[in-house]
Amino acid sequence: MTPPTALAAEAATKPLIPPSTHRYADIIHRLEAGGSMLPDTPENLMQIIGIYKAYAVPMDFYWRDLLYIAEQVFLNPLPAFKYFISQEYLDRPCSYSGDDSKLRIWRGGEKAHPELLQFMERGETVRMPKLLHHLWHDRVNMEFAEACMQAMIWHQGMGGRFNDYLESAAYRSNADRAIKAYFKRNPLMLGLYKLFPEMFLEQVRQLSYTANLGLFWEVMAPVFFEMSDIYDEGGFKGVPDAMNFLVNGIFAVAGRPIYHHVFIDGECLEIIPKSEGFTWLYEAALPYVEAVFYRTAPFRGTKSYNAQAGQVPADQAEFHYGILYADVFPVGSAGIPPTLLMQDMLHFLPPYLEDLYRQHKRGEDDQLVQLGVTFQRSMYNVTSAVIQALRCALLYPLDDPDPEHLLANRRFFESQLDRFLRPEARLPQIQTQDYR
Amino acid sequence: MATILETAAGAGCFNTLLAAVDAAGLRGALEGPGPFTVFAPVDDAFAALPPGTVETLVDNPPQLARILKFHVLAGAHDQAALVARQEWASLEGAPVPIRRADPFEVKNATVVSADVACDNGVVHVINRVILPG
Amino acid sequence: MILLLPLLIPLVAVLALPLLPGDSVLTRQSAAAAGLLQLLSGLWLWRHPPADLTIPWLPKLGLNLDLGLDGITLPLVLITALITTMAVLAASSEQGRSRLFYALLLSTNLGLTGAFLARNALLFVLAYELILIPTTLLVATFGRSQRSSAAIRFLLFNALSGFVLLGVVLAMGWLHPGGVSFAYSDLAADQYTPVAERWLLAGLLLAFGLKLPLVPLHGWQPITYSQAPTPVAMLLSGAVSKLGVYGLLRFGVQFLPDTWAAWSPWIAAIGAITTIYGALNAVAQLDIRRLVAYSSLAHMGLLALALAAATPLSLQGAVVQMLAHGLITALLFCLVGTIERHTGSVMIPEMSGLMNPYRGLPFTMGLMLLGLMAAAGVPGLAGFVGELLVFEGSWVAFPWPTLVCMLASGLTAVYAVRLFNRVGFGRLDNERADWLNTTWPERFPAVVLAALLVVAGIWPATITGFSEASVTPLALRHTDLAYTASAAGSQSTTAELLA
Repeated sequence: MTPPTALAAEAATKPLIPPSTHRYADIIHRLEAGGSMLPDTPENLMQIIGIYKAYAVPMDFYWRDLLYIAEQVFLNPLPAFKYFISQEYLDRPCSYSGDDSKLRIWRGGEKAHPELLQFMERGETVRMPKLLHHLWHDRVNMEFAEACMQAMIWHQGMGGRFNDYLESAAYRSNADRAIKAYFKRNPLMLGLYKLFPEMFLEQVRQLSYTANLGLFWEVMAPVFFEMSDIYDEGGFKGVPDAMNFLVNGIFAVAGRPIYHHVFIDGECLEIIPKSEGFTWLYEAALPYVEAVFYRTAPFRGTKSYNAQAGQVPADQAEFHYGILYADVFPVGSAGIPPTLLMQDMLHFLPPYLEDLYRQHKRGEDDQLVQLGVTFQRSMYNVTSAVIQALRCALLYPLDDPDPEHLLANRRFFESQLDRFLRPEARLPQIQTQDYR
Repeated sequence: MATILETAAGAGCFNTLLAAVDAAGLRGALEGPGPFTVFAPVDDAFAALPPGTVETLVDNPPQLARILKFHVLAGAHDQAALVARQEWASLEGAPVPIRRADPFEVKNATVVSADVACDNGVVHVINRVILPG
Repeated sequence: MILLLPLLIPLVAVLALPLLPGDSVLTRQSAAAAGLLQLLSGLWLWRHPPADLTIPWLPKLGLNLDLGLDGITLPLVLITALITTMAVLAASSEQGRSRLFYALLLSTNLGLTGAFLARNALLFVLAYELILIPTTLLVATFGRSQRSSAAIRFLLFNALSGFVLLGVVLAMGWLHPGGVSFAYSDLAADQYTPVAERWLLAGLLLAFGLKLPLVPLHGWQPITYSQAPTPVAMLLSGAVSKLGVYGLLRFGVQFLPDTWAAWSPWIAAIGAITTIYGALNAVAQLDIRRLVAYSSLAHMGLLALALAAATPLSLQGAVVQMLAHGLITALLFCLVGTIERHTGSVMIPEMSGLMNPYRGLPFTMGLMLLGLMAAAGVPGLAGFVGELLVFEGSWVAFPWPTLVCMLASGLTAVYAVRLFNRVGFGRLDNERADWLNTTWPERFPAVVLAALLVVAGIWPATITGFSEASVTPLALRHTDLAYTASAAGSQSTTAELLA
């Protein structure tokens, strides 16, 4: 008669449900075991943590400047200096870092990251007046952040209540008040507003999405900084550990309110008040992932698409131009949003990543492409964290004893991975280390 | 019989839920005549959420109210009535699916104890916090 | 005696190379040094034109070392030396059996230089034949996968060419009144019977038509150029083919003017056919080496047209086009070789996105753009200068063949753009883009050739200045378009001509 503990052990090891028959069955099984879509290797961990840190530094600028634009620049008709962020916003305390933070995610300070400030001083060239840096484009490429915002507003209905609210009467009246307050000394613009109210309203909607994105990234930057610090201490044992940190982070901040306040003449007007109940998870994070990771839009200037020949999908939900589907090679052209981000990340690579890139492909000459591929890997990891978080919120634990529940989990994972069945998806490529 | 909130207070395992109701400012609504159907998560359900989740929600009453309202249906429905339909509209607006009749499952939570009758409605005790989406 | 220098340098190098240690970098350096020295000696001769040289060798046979340079042969000697040097530098640094390889290259150079310097027809044929064995061996030993069939074809066609040429030259020499003489001065003055002239010219057209090549005698060319290793292809297309043009100019236009003038419409037609045939085939090619080979064929047709027209302008254009084409085709083969070495492929469908600045070959593709533009005759580059002179000079004599050639020249733009579009632009395949970028030593020959193309394009006098004085006396048609006999045997001394 076998002892009870052995029986229990046997029951634990015997799988409750048959293996998956999906094309990505081994990835599904890895997800069901608590892993990520990205294979768990030490090099993968090093790559993704390094690039998270390189991404977080410009992201620190992005979220601050996005809020600056949404709250201060607002409806300036000639916003030539919208990227010339004010000191107030550079010093604006991040809600998730610094000693006074209520929910402290990062152990560092609450103001702008020191490396960012260092870069803003010199850029890639020399110390010059800020205007010259701006014109020479030797700065953080904010255009990338704005492109992300535009992707979100263009794709619109991706879950959450945010977009519907922007069409509501309450929003209209809030926006109307703000527009009139902003232009109260400008009869020309007020007259234009009377003639074309929808145009101004659309601008305010864009600015609301700008605020949305800024508040989203305000969370992600300290998360990535903390992950980099934990990795430096050796606190992550593998890619699943890093992914779980992200999952916990997503839950911890899920309830953060998403709002849009505008400061006109020192007075705060609420265009989207916190009392509307918009949450970080449903109104910011999930739409962002859908719009920027999956969908985005074809980037002008790299390839011509013949719409009449159906080369661009007619259904927006079928768009597949996000980072998860991206062909990382910029086709010799600069200026498309992904290249802008890659250029930004290049400035803040940790030394261990620079060493890694020096050893492969063309070394320093094609660092941009190598880090682009690394970034793609890391975003698959973030997507895995989102998938696992959704599973945790809406479905069942991975060690649930009920086979029905496990099958429900499996159907969920399979439906998520179905989105990567199309040939453009890079999921198969990231499974090997050769993809650089 | 007691009201929903009095029943919950008496049970002793809904401390987190009651604190949340107070923080969200929903006490007045839940003391009203209703009737309501409330899916009440036990304290362990809130503890099972990753750290920081509840604290963030408690700091933001409108957002917390939204999550809590997702646990409330208009009208008093017992288990038999609930399993007759696939999904029910919550007070938050998003639908609450009934996934299984036996064992009785509401979304991804199992009903531990159903049909707890109160003055202003019915309470079903669930073992997980349910979230819209 | 100084005229011997361009011959002695490669001769010494060929004899000395086997003495060097096997497969060391010294071999390549020595070969390049020899080429460079030859080029420098040629430049010196340009600045200090020497008198003709005659050294008796086998007077009984009529074979003397008659050497001389005029406005036609000087630039050809220079370009032979230049292309040889660049070909040596374009060779792979891991070239196996390097002593044999470079010795054969330099032997070819020796033959070419000897043929251009010769003032004696038998010496010319000797040098012409001398080229045959080294080039065949180069293709047969160092060529690519189909080298044996390429080498056999090359050997057959060119051996026939040499054989026929030998027969023609012997006949010309024997027909010289007053004893056998092969000296150019004697041959130029000779008048042959019309029948004899026709036979002679037919033989010459066959022999040199095989060399140029001209359609329909071109069967060896595409396969040989595509199977030969890069330096050999550069030398063959850049220099050896010019031997055929020079031969037609010297032996046909100069020595057999009457029949040449009578047959020139047919020759012009053949030239036009060759050009359009080459251009159309180039458009259809998927192998970039064959594309460049057919492009070279097309440009050879232009030369036949120019020689057929035989106006002063067209003859000058022929010489200029020879120089320009030598540079262009050497550059293109050099770049194609670089692409093959790095990407491992020569098929257009397999390549795209090579212009990619991070993982492609941007420098090479940039130079290739320049080379293709030059081949298409874009103004500002050397190809335009040559083509302009050829068309302007031939139009007055043969308008319809010239029109056809201009059309074919337009087709050059078609295949050039098609090639560049497919290979340069588009998406670079990440999975296959495993190659390293080119280094400066690798780029050097292409840079030199491209620089010369640009200089010659914006300062045409550098390539047109050589030949005007030498070719004008050879012209058969002047402004009145009537055939006029060239000034008999006008072999002015090089000193006079190069003043």
